[in-house]
Amino acid sequence: MTGLPVTVGIIEDHPVVVDGVTTWINADPGQRAVVVGSGADVDEVLAGPAGAADVLLLDLHLGETVVVDRVAELCTAGRRVVVYSGMDDPDTILAVLEAGASAFLSKHEAGGHCVDTIVAVATDRPYVTPSVAGALLSEAPHLSAQERTALLLWFQSMSKASVARRMGLSEATVRQYIDRARVKYAKLGRPAPTKTALLARAIEDGLIRADEIREYRSHAAE
Amino acid sequence: MTAEPSVVVAERYARGATVAAVVIAGFWHLGYDSVVTVANWGVYTRQWAAAVGWVLYLVVGVAGAVLLLRGGSRRWAWPLGVAALAVDVLLVLAAPAQVILPPNWAWGAVGWVAVIVFWRHRAAHLVAFLVADTALLVVSMVAVDAGSSQHVSRAIMVLLGAFTLQLGYNFGGHGLRTAAGWAARDSAARTEATARRAAAEAVAEDRAQRYRELHRATATLLAELAAGADPADPAIRRRAAAGAARLRRLMAETDDVPDPLLHELRAGADVAERRGVQVSLSVVGTVPQLPVDLRRALTEAPILGLSAARSVARVTVVASQQEVAVAVVADAPPVRLSQPRGVDLTHDRDGDQLWLETRWTGG
Repeated sequence: MTGLPVTVGIIEDHPVVVDGVTTWINADPGQRAVVVGSGADVDEVLAGPAGAADVLLLDLHLGETVVVDRVAELCTAGRRVVVYSGMDDPDTILAVLEAGASAFLSKHEAGGHCVDTIVAVATDRPYVTPSVAGALLSEAPHLSAQERTALLLWFQSMSKASVARRMGLSEATVRQYIDRARVKYAKLGRPAPTKTALLARAIEDGLIRADEIREYRSHAAE
Repeated sequence: MTAEPSVVVAERYARGATVAAVVIAGFWHLGYDSVVTVANWGVYTRQWAAAVGWVLYLVVGVAGAVLLLRGGSRRWAWPLGVAALAVDVLLVLAAPAQVILPPNWAWGAVGWVAVIVFWRHRAAHLVAFLVADTALLVVSMVAVDAGSSQHVSRAIMVLLGAFTLQLGYNFGGHGLRTAAGWAARDSAARTEATARRAAAEAVAEDRAQRYRELHRATATLLAELAAGADPADPAIRRRAAAGAARLRRLMAETDDVPDPLLHELRAGADVAERRGVQVSLSVVGTVPQLPVDLRRALTEAPILGLSAARSVARVTVVASQQEVAVAVVADAPPVRLSQPRGVDLTHDRDGDQLWLETRWTGG
Protein backbone atom coordinates (compact mmCIF):
# COMPACT_ATOMS: atom_id res chain seq x y z
CA MET A 1 0.00 0.00 0.00
CA THR A 2 1.20 3.44 -0.89
CA GLY A 3 -0.49 5.20 2.01
CA LEU A 4 -2.85 7.02 -0.31
CA PRO A 5 -6.52 6.32 0.41
CA VAL A 6 -8.28 3.76 -1.78
CA THR A 7 -10.52 5.43 -4.36
CA VAL A 8 -14.08 4.09 -4.57
CA GLY A 9 -16.84 4.49 -7.17
CA ILE A 10 -20.37 3.70 -6.05
CA ILE A 11 -22.95 2.47 -8.58
CA GLU A 12 -26.27 2.51 -6.80
CA ASP A 13 -29.71 3.87 -7.62
CA HIS A 14 -30.80 4.80 -4.10
CA PRO A 15 -29.24 8.11 -3.02
CA VAL A 16 -29.82 7.22 0.62
CA VAL A 17 -27.64 4.14 0.23
CA VAL A 18 -24.91 6.17 -1.51
CA ASP A 19 -25.01 8.66 1.37
CA GLY A 20 -24.95 5.85 3.91
CA VAL A 21 -21.95 4.10 2.37
CA THR A 22 -20.13 7.44 1.97
CA THR A 23 -20.77 8.13 5.65
CA TRP A 24 -19.30 4.77 6.65
CA ILE A 25 -16.24 5.37 4.49
CA ASN A 26 -15.73 8.89 5.84
CA ALA A 27 -16.20 7.68 9.40
CA ASP A 28 -13.36 5.15 9.09
CA PRO A 29 -10.82 6.14 11.75
CA GLY A 30 -7.88 5.31 9.44
CA GLN A 31 -9.34 7.31 6.54
CA ARG A 32 -8.34 4.36 4.38
CA ALA A 33 -10.75 5.08 1.52
CA VAL A 34 -12.43 7.95 -0.29
CA VAL A 35 -15.49 8.07 -2.55
CA VAL A 36 -14.59 9.68 -5.88
CA GLY A 37 -17.83 9.24 -7.79
CA SER A 38 -21.30 7.75 -7.69
CA GLY A 39 -24.43 7.31 -9.78
CA ALA A 40 -27.23 5.05 -10.82
CA ASP A 41 -25.84 4.08 -14.23
CA VAL A 42 -22.74 1.94 -14.79
CA ASP A 43 -21.57 3.74 -17.91
CA GLU A 44 -22.21 7.23 -16.54
CA VAL A 45 -20.21 6.52 -13.39
CA LEU A 46 -17.31 5.07 -15.39
CA ALA A 47 -17.29 8.13 -17.66
CA GLY A 48 -16.85 10.38 -14.65
CA PRO A 49 -14.07 10.73 -12.08
CA ALA A 50 -14.79 7.20 -10.82
CA GLY A 51 -13.55 5.82 -14.16
CA ALA A 52 -10.12 5.31 -12.57
CA ALA A 53 -11.31 4.27 -9.10
CA ASP A 54 -9.47 1.41 -7.39
CA VAL A 55 -12.69 -0.28 -6.39
CA LEU A 56 -16.25 -0.20 -7.74
CA LEU A 57 -19.07 -0.82 -5.32
CA LEU A 58 -21.89 -2.19 -7.49
CA ASP A 59 -25.54 -2.69 -6.59
CA LEU A 60 -27.10 -5.53 -8.56
CA HIS A 61 -30.49 -3.83 -8.71
CA LEU A 62 -30.38 -0.62 -10.72
CA GLY A 63 -33.87 0.73 -11.28
CA GLU A 64 -35.80 -2.03 -12.96
CA THR A 65 -32.80 -4.00 -14.22
CA VAL A 66 -30.62 -6.60 -12.55
CA VAL A 67 -27.05 -6.15 -13.74
CA VAL A 68 -25.54 -9.53 -12.81
CA ASP A 69 -24.37 -9.90 -16.42
CA ARG A 70 -22.41 -6.62 -16.26
CA VAL A 71 -20.17 -7.99 -13.49
CA ALA A 72 -18.17 -10.23 -15.82
CA GLU A 73 -17.75 -7.40 -18.30
CA LEU A 74 -16.41 -5.01 -15.64
CA CYS A 75 -14.08 -7.62 -14.17
CA THR A 76 -12.73 -8.62 -17.57
CA ALA A 77 -11.90 -4.96 -18.14
CA GLY A 78 -9.62 -5.26 -15.12
CA ARG A 79 -11.80 -3.59 -12.51
CA ARG A 80 -12.04 -4.67 -8.91
CA VAL A 81 -15.74 -5.03 -8.21
CA VAL A 82 -17.38 -5.35 -4.82
CA VAL A 83 -20.99 -6.39 -5.31
CA TYR A 84 -23.25 -4.80 -2.77
CA SER A 85 -26.75 -6.22 -2.81
CA GLY A 86 -29.71 -7.40 -0.85
CA MET A 87 -30.00 -10.42 -3.11
CA ASP A 88 -27.83 -12.57 -0.87
CA ASP A 89 -28.96 -16.07 -1.76
CA PRO A 90 -26.06 -18.49 -2.34
CA ASP A 91 -26.80 -18.82 -6.05
CA THR A 92 -26.51 -15.08 -6.69
CA ILE A 93 -23.40 -14.78 -4.54
CA LEU A 94 -21.67 -17.65 -6.31
CA ALA A 95 -22.76 -16.31 -9.70
CA VAL A 96 -21.17 -12.90 -9.15
CA LEU A 97 -18.03 -14.44 -7.63
CA GLU A 98 -17.72 -16.68 -10.65
CA ALA A 99 -18.18 -13.68 -12.87
CA GLY A 100 -15.07 -12.26 -11.25
CA ALA A 101 -16.32 -10.05 -8.43
CA SER A 102 -13.67 -9.65 -5.72
CA ALA A 103 -16.16 -9.69 -2.89
CA PHE A 104 -19.84 -9.75 -2.07
CA LEU A 105 -21.34 -7.54 0.61
CA SER A 106 -24.86 -8.27 1.72
CA LYS A 107 -26.99 -5.24 2.60
CA HIS A 108 -27.86 -7.09 5.79
CA GLU A 109 -24.32 -7.07 7.03
CA ALA A 110 -22.77 -4.10 5.28
CA GLY A 111 -22.00 -1.63 8.07
CA GLY A 112 -19.28 -3.46 9.92
CA HIS A 113 -17.63 -4.92 6.85
CA CYS A 114 -17.86 -2.26 4.15
CA VAL A 115 -14.58 -0.38 4.58
CA ASP A 116 -12.63 -3.52 5.49
CA THR A 117 -13.86 -5.19 2.34
CA ILE A 118 -13.01 -2.24 0.11
CA VAL A 119 -9.50 -1.90 1.49
CA ALA A 120 -8.80 -5.60 1.30
CA VAL A 121 -10.03 -5.79 -2.29
CA ALA A 122 -7.95 -2.75 -3.31
CA THR A 123 -4.82 -4.58 -2.18
CA ASP A 124 -5.91 -7.81 -3.92
CA ARG A 125 -6.39 -9.61 -0.64
CA PRO A 126 -9.22 -12.10 -0.52
CA TYR A 127 -11.93 -10.84 1.77
CA VAL A 128 -14.76 -13.11 2.75
CA THR A 129 -17.88 -11.59 4.22
CA PRO A 130 -20.22 -13.71 6.35
CA SER A 131 -22.72 -14.06 3.50
CA VAL A 132 -19.99 -15.27 1.14
CA ALA A 133 -18.94 -17.72 3.84
CA GLY A 134 -22.48 -19.09 3.78
CA ALA A 135 -22.46 -19.41 0.00
CA LEU A 136 -19.10 -21.22 0.12
CA LEU A 137 -20.42 -23.58 2.81
CA SER A 138 -23.18 -24.70 0.50
CA GLU A 139 -20.87 -25.13 -2.47
CA ALA A 140 -17.28 -26.04 -1.69
CA PRO A 141 -16.75 -29.65 -0.62
CA HIS A 142 -12.94 -29.62 -0.42
CA LEU A 143 -12.59 -27.62 2.78
CA SER A 144 -10.75 -28.92 5.82
CA ALA A 145 -12.71 -29.36 9.04
CA GLN A 146 -11.15 -26.23 10.55
CA GLU A 147 -11.86 -24.17 7.45
CA ARG A 148 -15.43 -25.37 7.43
CA THR A 149 -15.94 -24.60 11.10
CA ALA A 150 -14.42 -21.17 10.62
CA LEU A 151 -16.72 -20.49 7.66
CA LEU A 152 -19.75 -21.76 9.55
CA LEU A 153 -19.09 -19.62 12.62
CA TRP A 154 -18.16 -16.61 10.49
CA PHE A 155 -21.42 -16.99 8.57
CA GLN A 156 -23.37 -17.08 11.82
CA SER A 157 -21.39 -14.47 13.58
CA MET A 158 -20.66 -10.77 13.77
CA SER A 159 -16.89 -10.55 14.07
CA LYS A 160 -13.79 -12.60 13.36
CA ALA A 161 -12.73 -11.93 16.94
CA SER A 162 -15.74 -13.85 18.25
CA VAL A 163 -15.07 -16.69 15.81
CA ALA A 164 -11.47 -16.81 17.04
CA ARG A 165 -12.62 -16.93 20.64
CA ARG A 166 -15.04 -19.75 20.00
CA MET A 167 -12.49 -21.78 18.07
CA GLY A 168 -9.74 -21.03 20.56
CA LEU A 169 -7.49 -19.56 17.86
CA SER A 170 -5.95 -16.19 17.08
CA GLU A 171 -7.91 -13.82 14.89
CA ALA A 172 -5.16 -13.97 12.26
CA THR A 173 -5.47 -17.74 12.03
CA VAL A 174 -9.23 -17.51 11.64
CA ARG A 175 -8.76 -14.94 8.87
CA GLN A 176 -6.33 -17.29 7.21
CA TYR A 177 -8.77 -20.20 7.35
CA ILE A 178 -11.58 -18.13 5.93
CA ASP A 179 -9.44 -16.57 3.20
CA ARG A 180 -7.98 -19.93 2.35
CA ALA A 181 -11.45 -21.32 1.86
CA ARG A 182 -12.12 -18.47 -0.55
CA VAL A 183 -8.87 -19.13 -2.39
CA LYS A 184 -9.64 -22.82 -2.61
CA TYR A 185 -12.97 -21.94 -4.04
CA ALA A 186 -11.32 -19.62 -6.58
CA LYS A 187 -8.93 -22.43 -7.38
CA LEU A 188 -11.80 -24.73 -8.18
CA GLY A 189 -11.31 -22.62 -11.17
CA ARG A 190 -13.85 -20.82 -13.23
CA PRO A 191 -12.46 -18.01 -15.37
CA ALA A 192 -12.38 -14.91 -13.18
CA PRO A 193 -9.86 -12.25 -14.08
CA THR A 194 -9.28 -10.80 -10.63
CA LYS A 195 -8.53 -14.28 -9.36
CA THR A 196 -5.09 -13.88 -10.85
CA ALA A 197 -4.60 -11.67 -7.83
CA LEU A 198 -5.68 -14.54 -5.61
CA LEU A 199 -3.12 -16.73 -7.30
CA ALA A 200 -0.27 -14.93 -5.56
CA ARG A 201 -1.94 -15.58 -2.24
CA ALA A 202 -2.57 -19.19 -3.10
CA ILE A 203 1.10 -19.76 -3.87
CA GLU A 204 2.04 -17.91 -0.71
CA ASP A 205 -0.13 -20.30 1.31
CA GLY A 206 1.29 -23.29 -0.46
CA LEU A 207 -2.10 -24.15 -1.92
CA ILE A 208 -0.78 -24.06 -5.46
CA ARG A 209 2.61 -25.34 -6.55
CA ALA A 210 4.58 -23.31 -9.09
CA ASP A 211 4.26 -26.05 -11.72
CA GLU A 212 0.49 -25.80 -11.53
CA ILE A 213 0.48 -22.18 -12.62
CA ARG A 214 0.58 -22.88 -16.32
CA GLU A 215 -2.51 -24.99 -16.01
CA TYR A 216 -4.22 -22.33 -13.97
CA ARG A 217 -3.45 -19.63 -16.53
CA SER A 218 -4.56 -21.67 -19.48
CA HIS A 219 -7.75 -22.35 -17.66
CA ALA A 220 -8.29 -18.68 -16.89
CA ALA A 221 -7.63 -17.73 -20.51
CA GLU A 222 -10.41 -19.91 -21.89
CA MET B 1 -55.60 -56.61 -12.25
CA THR B 2 -57.66 -55.28 -9.40
CA ALA B 3 -56.25 -54.67 -5.94
CA GLU B 4 -59.53 -55.20 -4.10
CA PRO B 5 -58.57 -57.86 -1.51
CA SER B 6 -61.89 -59.71 -1.67
CA VAL B 7 -61.51 -60.09 -5.43
CA VAL B 8 -57.90 -61.22 -5.09
CA VAL B 9 -58.82 -63.90 -2.53
CA ALA B 10 -61.83 -65.10 -4.53
CA GLU B 11 -59.70 -65.32 -7.66
CA ARG B 12 -57.12 -67.37 -5.84
CA TYR B 13 -59.80 -69.83 -4.64
CA ALA B 14 -61.34 -70.02 -8.10
CA ARG B 15 -57.95 -70.75 -9.59
CA GLY B 16 -57.42 -73.62 -7.14
CA ALA B 17 -60.81 -75.12 -8.03
CA THR B 18 -60.17 -74.89 -11.79
CA VAL B 19 -56.77 -76.53 -11.46
CA ALA B 20 -58.39 -79.31 -9.40
CA ALA B 21 -61.07 -79.84 -12.10
CA VAL B 22 -58.39 -80.17 -14.78
CA VAL B 23 -56.42 -82.62 -12.64
CA ILE B 24 -59.51 -84.78 -12.00
CA ALA B 25 -60.39 -84.92 -15.74
CA GLY B 26 -56.78 -85.74 -16.59
CA PHE B 27 -56.52 -88.57 -14.08
CA TRP B 28 -59.92 -89.89 -15.09
CA HIS B 29 -58.95 -90.15 -18.73
CA LEU B 30 -55.36 -91.31 -18.39
CA GLY B 31 -55.99 -93.51 -15.37
CA TYR B 32 -59.40 -95.09 -16.05
CA ASP B 33 -60.30 -94.63 -19.74
CA SER B 34 -56.86 -95.62 -21.02
CA VAL B 35 -56.72 -98.76 -18.92
CA VAL B 36 -60.20 -99.84 -19.95
CA THR B 37 -59.47 -99.11 -23.65
CA VAL B 38 -56.27 -101.13 -23.64
CA ALA B 39 -57.78 -104.00 -21.62
CA ASN B 40 -60.72 -104.32 -24.02
CA TRP B 41 -58.80 -103.65 -27.25
CA GLY B 42 -59.77 -107.02 -28.69
CA VAL B 43 -63.44 -106.41 -27.90
CA TYR B 44 -63.78 -103.38 -30.20
CA THR B 45 -65.15 -104.21 -33.64
CA ARG B 46 -63.96 -100.87 -34.99
CA GLN B 47 -60.68 -100.27 -33.20
CA TRP B 48 -59.94 -97.08 -35.15
CA ALA B 49 -63.10 -95.50 -33.68
CA ALA B 50 -62.00 -96.37 -30.16
CA ALA B 51 -58.56 -94.87 -30.84
CA VAL B 52 -59.97 -91.69 -32.41
CA GLY B 53 -62.46 -91.35 -29.53
CA TRP B 54 -59.68 -91.66 -26.98
CA VAL B 55 -57.56 -89.03 -28.81
CA LEU B 56 -60.51 -86.69 -29.37
CA TYR B 57 -61.31 -86.81 -25.64
CA LEU B 58 -57.71 -85.89 -24.89
CA VAL B 59 -57.73 -83.04 -27.44
CA VAL B 60 -60.99 -81.59 -26.08
CA GLY B 61 -59.69 -81.93 -22.52
CA VAL B 62 -56.37 -80.19 -23.27
CA ALA B 63 -58.03 -77.41 -25.29
CA GLY B 64 -60.61 -76.85 -22.55
CA ALA B 65 -57.93 -76.81 -19.84
CA VAL B 66 -55.78 -74.33 -21.74
CA LEU B 67 -58.73 -72.02 -22.38
CA LEU B 68 -59.75 -72.21 -18.71
CA LEU B 69 -56.33 -71.79 -17.10
CA ARG B 70 -55.12 -69.13 -19.56
CA GLY B 71 -58.40 -67.22 -19.49
CA GLY B 72 -59.07 -67.70 -23.24
CA SER B 73 -62.27 -67.02 -25.15
CA ARG B 74 -65.51 -68.54 -23.78
CA ARG B 75 -66.97 -68.91 -27.30
CA TRP B 76 -65.25 -72.29 -27.70
CA ALA B 77 -67.25 -73.95 -24.92
CA TRP B 78 -70.08 -75.37 -27.03
CA PRO B 79 -67.91 -76.43 -30.02
CA LEU B 80 -65.74 -78.33 -27.54
CA GLY B 81 -68.88 -79.70 -25.85
CA VAL B 82 -70.15 -81.00 -29.20
CA ALA B 83 -66.73 -82.58 -29.84
CA ALA B 84 -66.99 -84.29 -26.45
CA LEU B 85 -70.41 -85.67 -27.41
CA ALA B 86 -68.78 -86.97 -30.60
CA VAL B 87 -66.60 -89.14 -28.35
CA ASP B 88 -69.83 -90.86 -27.21
CA VAL B 89 -70.76 -91.58 -30.83
CA LEU B 90 -67.28 -92.87 -31.70
CA LEU B 91 -67.28 -95.35 -28.82
CA VAL B 92 -70.75 -96.59 -29.71
CA LEU B 93 -69.38 -97.14 -33.23
CA ALA B 94 -66.30 -98.88 -31.82
CA ALA B 95 -68.32 -101.49 -29.95
CA PRO B 96 -72.09 -101.33 -30.66
CA ALA B 97 -72.70 -104.48 -28.69
CA GLN B 98 -70.98 -103.10 -25.61
CA VAL B 99 -73.00 -99.89 -25.47
CA ILE B 100 -73.37 -99.86 -21.69
CA LEU B 101 -70.58 -102.24 -20.75
CA PRO B 102 -67.09 -101.25 -19.49
CA PRO B 103 -65.40 -100.99 -22.94
CA ASN B 104 -67.60 -97.94 -23.59
CA TRP B 105 -66.10 -95.58 -21.07
CA ALA B 106 -67.41 -92.38 -22.72
CA TRP B 107 -70.84 -91.91 -21.06
CA GLY B 108 -69.59 -90.94 -17.63
CA ALA B 109 -66.18 -89.63 -18.66
CA VAL B 110 -67.23 -86.86 -21.09
CA GLY B 111 -68.94 -85.10 -18.17
CA TRP B 112 -65.52 -84.35 -16.68
CA VAL B 113 -64.28 -82.48 -19.76
CA ALA B 114 -67.64 -80.74 -19.78
CA VAL B 115 -66.96 -79.54 -16.22
CA ILE B 116 -63.76 -77.91 -17.48
CA VAL B 117 -65.24 -76.53 -20.70
CA PHE B 118 -68.32 -75.02 -19.03
CA TRP B 119 -66.61 -73.89 -15.78
CA ARG B 120 -66.97 -70.24 -16.68
CA HIS B 121 -70.59 -70.61 -17.79
CA ARG B 122 -73.74 -70.82 -15.75
CA ALA B 123 -74.50 -74.31 -14.39
CA ALA B 124 -77.40 -74.64 -16.88
CA HIS B 125 -74.88 -75.18 -19.69
CA LEU B 126 -73.33 -78.14 -17.90
CA VAL B 127 -76.79 -79.56 -17.15
CA ALA B 128 -77.78 -79.15 -20.83
CA PHE B 129 -74.63 -80.99 -21.84
CA LEU B 130 -75.38 -83.86 -19.44
CA VAL B 131 -78.94 -84.05 -20.75
CA ALA B 132 -77.57 -84.27 -24.31
CA ASP B 133 -75.16 -86.99 -23.15
CA THR B 134 -78.07 -88.91 -21.63
CA ALA B 135 -80.19 -88.46 -24.77
CA LEU B 136 -77.38 -89.87 -26.90
CA LEU B 137 -77.13 -92.86 -24.59
CA VAL B 138 -80.87 -93.51 -24.80
CA VAL B 139 -80.84 -93.18 -28.61
CA SER B 140 -77.83 -95.52 -28.83
CA MET B 141 -79.47 -98.13 -26.58
CA VAL B 142 -82.61 -98.03 -28.69
CA ALA B 143 -80.56 -98.24 -31.90
CA VAL B 144 -78.61 -101.31 -30.82
CA ASP B 145 -81.64 -102.72 -29.10
CA ALA B 146 -80.09 -102.91 -25.67
CA GLY B 147 -83.32 -102.43 -23.80
CA SER B 148 -83.10 -105.15 -21.16
CA SER B 149 -83.74 -104.12 -17.57
CA GLN B 150 -80.15 -105.01 -16.79
CA HIS B 151 -78.94 -102.57 -19.43
CA VAL B 152 -81.27 -99.81 -18.29
CA SER B 153 -80.33 -100.13 -14.64
CA ARG B 154 -76.67 -100.20 -15.55
CA ALA B 155 -77.09 -97.05 -17.66
CA ILE B 156 -78.88 -95.29 -14.83
CA MET B 157 -76.11 -96.27 -12.42
CA VAL B 158 -73.35 -95.01 -14.74
CA LEU B 159 -75.05 -91.71 -15.47
CA LEU B 160 -76.22 -90.98 -11.94
CA GLY B 161 -72.87 -91.90 -10.46
CA ALA B 162 -70.95 -89.68 -12.85
CA PHE B 163 -73.40 -86.76 -12.95
CA THR B 164 -73.70 -86.51 -9.19
CA LEU B 165 -69.95 -86.18 -8.85
CA GLN B 166 -69.60 -83.76 -11.77
CA LEU B 167 -72.50 -81.47 -10.84
CA GLY B 168 -71.53 -81.65 -7.17
CA TYR B 169 -67.99 -80.68 -7.93
CA ASN B 170 -69.14 -77.83 -10.15
CA PHE B 171 -71.51 -76.37 -7.54
CA GLY B 172 -69.02 -76.95 -4.74
CA GLY B 173 -66.19 -75.20 -6.54
CA HIS B 174 -68.30 -72.17 -7.39
CA GLY B 175 -69.82 -72.06 -3.90
CA LEU B 176 -66.35 -72.07 -2.39
CA ARG B 177 -65.43 -69.10 -4.51
CA THR B 178 -68.51 -67.17 -3.41
CA ALA B 179 -67.83 -67.99 0.24
CA ALA B 180 -64.20 -66.90 -0.14
CA GLY B 181 -65.40 -63.60 -1.58
CA TRP B 182 -67.67 -63.06 1.44
CA ALA B 183 -64.90 -63.88 3.88
CA ALA B 184 -62.42 -61.59 2.12
CA ARG B 185 -64.90 -58.70 1.97
CA ASP B 186 -65.63 -59.18 5.67
CA SER B 187 -61.96 -59.17 6.51
CA ALA B 188 -61.31 -56.05 4.38
CA ALA B 189 -64.16 -54.24 6.12
CA ARG B 190 -62.75 -55.22 9.52
CA THR B 191 -59.24 -54.02 8.56
CA GLU B 192 -60.66 -50.71 7.38
CA ALA B 193 -62.56 -50.25 10.63
CA THR B 194 -59.41 -51.02 12.63
CA ALA B 195 -57.37 -48.53 10.60
CA ARG B 196 -60.01 -45.86 11.04
CA ARG B 197 -60.04 -46.41 14.79
CA ALA B 198 -56.22 -46.26 14.97
CA ALA B 199 -56.24 -42.98 13.01
CA ALA B 200 -58.89 -41.52 15.31
CA GLU B 201 -56.87 -42.55 18.36
CA ALA B 202 -53.70 -41.00 16.90
CA VAL B 203 -55.52 -37.73 16.21
CA ALA B 204 -56.94 -37.70 19.73
CA GLU B 205 -53.55 -38.44 21.27
CA ASP B 206 -51.97 -35.71 19.14
CA ARG B 207 -54.59 -33.22 20.36
CA ALA B 208 -54.00 -34.21 23.96
CA GLN B 209 -50.25 -33.86 23.44
CA ARG B 210 -50.66 -30.40 21.94
CA TYR B 211 -52.88 -29.39 24.77
CA ARG B 212 -50.21 -30.47 27.26
CA GLU B 213 -47.59 -28.52 25.27
CA LEU B 214 -49.73 -25.39 25.23
CA HIS B 215 -50.39 -25.82 28.89
CA ARG B 216 -46.70 -26.15 29.65
CA ALA B 217 -45.83 -23.14 27.46
CA THR B 218 -48.25 -20.69 28.98
CA ALA B 219 -50.06 -21.87 32.07
CA THR B 220 -47.32 -21.09 34.58
CA LEU B 221 -46.80 -17.63 33.17
CA LEU B 222 -50.51 -16.84 33.10
CA ALA B 223 -50.86 -18.09 36.67
CA GLU B 224 -48.03 -15.82 37.79
CA LEU B 225 -49.61 -12.86 36.03
CA ALA B 226 -52.94 -13.66 37.64
CA ALA B 227 -51.22 -13.82 41.00
CA GLY B 228 -49.95 -10.29 40.52
CA ALA B 229 -46.64 -10.55 38.63
CA ASP B 230 -45.68 -7.23 37.04
CA PRO B 231 -46.23 -7.28 33.25
CA ALA B 232 -43.69 -4.46 32.96
CA ASP B 233 -40.93 -6.66 34.39
CA PRO B 234 -38.46 -7.35 31.52
CA ALA B 235 -38.09 -10.97 32.61
CA ILE B 236 -41.84 -11.53 32.49
CA ARG B 237 -42.01 -9.81 29.09
CA ARG B 238 -39.26 -12.06 27.76
CA ARG B 239 -41.03 -15.16 29.00
CA ALA B 240 -44.28 -13.92 27.47
CA ALA B 241 -42.51 -13.35 24.15
CA ALA B 242 -40.97 -16.82 24.34
CA GLY B 243 -44.38 -18.32 25.16
CA ALA B 244 -45.95 -16.51 22.20
CA ALA B 245 -43.19 -17.72 19.89
CA ARG B 246 -43.61 -21.28 21.15
CA LEU B 247 -47.34 -21.14 20.52
CA ARG B 248 -46.70 -19.89 17.00
CA ARG B 249 -44.27 -22.73 16.47
CA LEU B 250 -46.76 -25.30 17.79
CA MET B 251 -49.30 -23.99 15.31
CA ALA B 252 -46.74 -23.93 12.52
CA GLU B 253 -45.79 -27.57 13.24
CA THR B 254 -49.09 -28.82 11.85
CA ASP B 255 -48.94 -26.72 8.69
CA ASP B 256 -48.24 -28.75 5.61
CA VAL B 257 -45.34 -26.84 4.04
CA PRO B 258 -42.33 -27.96 2.02
CA ASP B 259 -39.79 -26.63 4.55
CA PRO B 260 -41.23 -27.18 8.04
CA LEU B 261 -38.09 -26.20 10.00
CA LEU B 262 -37.81 -22.82 8.26
CA HIS B 263 -41.55 -22.35 8.54
CA GLU B 264 -41.37 -22.84 12.31
CA LEU B 265 -38.38 -20.51 12.63
CA ARG B 266 -40.23 -17.87 10.61
CA ALA B 267 -43.18 -18.23 12.98
CA GLY B 268 -40.79 -17.44 15.86
CA ALA B 269 -39.24 -14.55 13.91
CA ASP B 270 -42.70 -13.10 13.25
CA VAL B 271 -43.36 -12.79 16.96
CA ALA B 272 -40.03 -11.02 17.49
CA GLU B 273 -40.72 -8.68 14.56
CA ARG B 274 -44.04 -7.69 16.06
CA ARG B 275 -42.14 -6.54 19.11
CA GLY B 276 -40.11 -4.27 16.82
CA VAL B 277 -37.04 -6.49 16.55
CA GLN B 278 -35.38 -6.38 13.14
CA VAL B 279 -34.91 -10.04 12.21
CA SER B 280 -33.02 -11.41 9.25
CA LEU B 281 -33.06 -15.09 8.34
CA SER B 282 -30.35 -16.50 6.08
CA VAL B 283 -30.45 -20.06 4.88
CA VAL B 284 -27.69 -22.02 3.20
CA GLY B 285 -28.28 -25.46 1.76
CA THR B 286 -31.38 -27.63 1.70
CA VAL B 287 -32.96 -28.68 4.97
CA PRO B 288 -33.57 -32.46 5.07
CA GLN B 289 -36.83 -33.99 6.32
CA LEU B 290 -36.65 -34.06 10.11
CA PRO B 291 -39.17 -35.49 12.59
CA VAL B 292 -41.13 -32.98 14.64
CA ASP B 293 -39.36 -33.66 17.96
CA LEU B 294 -35.97 -33.03 16.32
CA ARG B 295 -37.25 -29.83 14.76
CA ARG B 296 -38.56 -28.77 18.13
CA ALA B 297 -35.17 -29.46 19.74
CA LEU B 298 -33.45 -27.43 16.99
CA THR B 299 -35.80 -24.43 17.26
CA GLU B 300 -36.30 -24.23 21.04
CA ALA B 301 -33.08 -22.35 21.92
CA PRO B 302 -33.22 -20.07 18.84
CA ILE B 303 -36.79 -19.11 19.82
CA LEU B 304 -35.58 -18.17 23.29
CA GLY B 305 -32.77 -16.12 21.73
CA LEU B 306 -35.20 -14.37 19.38
CA SER B 307 -37.59 -13.70 22.21
CA ALA B 308 -34.86 -12.09 24.27
CA ALA B 309 -33.57 -9.88 21.41
CA ARG B 310 -33.86 -6.14 22.06
CA SER B 311 -33.60 -4.66 18.57
CA VAL B 312 -31.69 -6.81 16.08
CA ALA B 313 -31.50 -10.55 15.54
CA ARG B 314 -29.90 -12.58 12.80
CA VAL B 315 -30.96 -16.20 12.34
CA THR B 316 -28.82 -18.44 10.19
CA VAL B 317 -29.51 -21.97 9.06
CA VAL B 318 -26.82 -24.10 7.46
CA ALA B 319 -28.17 -27.41 6.28
CA SER B 320 -27.03 -30.49 4.46
CA GLN B 321 -28.25 -34.08 4.50
CA GLN B 322 -25.85 -34.88 7.36
CA GLU B 323 -26.02 -31.70 9.42
CA VAL B 324 -28.34 -28.86 10.32
CA ALA B 325 -27.05 -25.88 12.33
CA VAL B 326 -29.41 -23.13 13.49
CA ALA B 327 -27.80 -20.07 15.04
CA VAL B 328 -29.07 -16.78 16.44
CA VAL B 329 -27.04 -13.63 17.01
CA ALA B 330 -28.98 -10.98 18.88
CA ASP B 331 -28.53 -8.07 21.25
CA ALA B 332 -30.04 -9.89 24.15
CA PRO B 333 -29.51 -10.30 27.87
CA PRO B 334 -28.34 -13.72 29.09
CA VAL B 335 -31.04 -16.36 28.76
CA ARG B 336 -31.42 -19.60 30.62
CA LEU B 337 -31.06 -22.50 28.20
CA SER B 338 -31.58 -26.18 28.82
CA GLN B 339 -29.77 -28.81 26.80
CA PRO B 340 -32.22 -30.19 24.23
CA ARG B 341 -32.36 -33.90 23.39
CA GLY B 342 -30.79 -35.09 20.16
CA VAL B 343 -29.01 -31.85 19.26
CA ASP B 344 -25.91 -29.99 20.47
CA LEU B 345 -26.40 -26.58 21.98
CA THR B 346 -23.56 -24.07 22.31
CA HIS B 347 -23.75 -20.42 23.25
CA ASP B 348 -21.49 -17.47 23.87
CA ARG B 349 -21.59 -13.81 24.73
CA ASP B 350 -19.66 -10.91 23.26
CA GLY B 351 -20.49 -7.65 25.02
CA ASP B 352 -24.27 -7.31 24.77
CA GLN B 353 -24.39 -9.78 21.91
CA LEU B 354 -25.74 -13.25 22.48
CA TRP B 355 -24.78 -16.05 20.15
CA LEU B 356 -26.27 -19.49 20.32
CA GLU B 357 -26.31 -22.46 18.03
CA THR B 358 -28.18 -25.76 17.93
CA ARG B 359 -26.72 -28.40 15.73
CA TRP B 360 -28.01 -31.79 14.63
CA THR B 361 -25.57 -34.23 13.12
CA GLY B 362 -27.23 -37.12 11.39
CA GLY B 363 -26.06 -40.49 10.25
